[in-house]
Amino acid sequence: MHEMSIALEVCRIAEEQVGTDTLPAVRAVGLEVGEQAGIEIGSLVFCLETLLGAPPFTGAAPVIERCPGDVLRVSYLEVEDGRPDD
Amino acid sequence: MAVRTIDVRERVMARNDQLASGIRERLAGTGVPALNLVSSPGAGKTALLERTLADLSRTYRIAVITGDVQTQNDADRLARHTDRLVQAVVTNGACHLDALQIATALDAIDLDATDLLFIENVGNLVCPAAWDLGETGKVVLLSVTEGEDKPLKYPSAFQRATTLVLTKLDLIPHVPFSLERAVGYALEVNPDLQVLFTSTILPEGLEEWYGFLRAQLHQRRAA
Repeated sequence: MHEMSIALEVCRIAEEQVGTDTLPAVRAVGLEVGEQAGIEIGSLVFCLETLLGAPPFTGAAPVIERCPGDVLRVSYLEVEDGRPDD
Repeated sequence: MAVRTIDVRERVMARNDQLASGIRERLAGTGVPALNLVSSPGAGKTALLERTLADLSRTYRIAVITGDVQTQNDADRLARHTDRLVQAVVTNGACHLDALQIATALDAIDLDATDLLFIENVGNLVCPAAWDLGETGKVVLLSVTEGEDKPLKYPSAFQRATTLVLTKLDLIPHVPFSLERAVGYALEVNPDLQVLFTSTILPEGLEEWYGFLRAQLHQRRAA
């Protein structure tokens, strides 16, 4: 039930990491979610897709990795760096 | 476009927990025990606090922060039993209280003139368990009109609590509820739980609860 609060906090952490101007370039947000974290994964993904699909984001994908325990953390961000591919 | 990966490894609850640490320091600085009451809706948190305020607020200076998704009904009920301001937090849809709400509510409470703080969380046995509010201890309530297996169905709330308060013991003759099984399930998920049996209706029904509260007050004063 509190997945939207968690999703909002994930977005805040992303902004803190890369700055507001870079948020449109975020392509993926990696999360570790423990089996005992009290999170309903389907609901969290739905909330994240909703938030990451609206400005300032441009459709970044939530990537959830399940793990043991009650861990709940943002593990990585994938960001387009603005340079063309090699 | 090339994509780079940024290593983050930040706990989602880090900011809440940082605020909770600040609250814990504020409370420790003034020696005020803070109990975070969590339960399903209807387990009797407000009724327990109403009686507690009516019986003890002339002896102890008790502050209350109470959270509800909508309405200030609980705060209004509690305000009838105390001269102090009851802090109402309306979460507008959120299913739990968070540390920022408590830190803000504490700004309006004179902790130097407070012996004991109750935080009545939103009625919900899932979400409040995950949010540290800087409390001294979580108290989980389970009423005899609920399923005995709630501790197994909602283990986080019982694992993170220090105390289990069984409520509405006066209804035991009328409901198929085994206290023995309920306590057994609770201790199965948290063997360290202190278990108290209460009724706001029966004479002496809150003696164990009041004994527990007095112990909290004495422990903090001795610390």
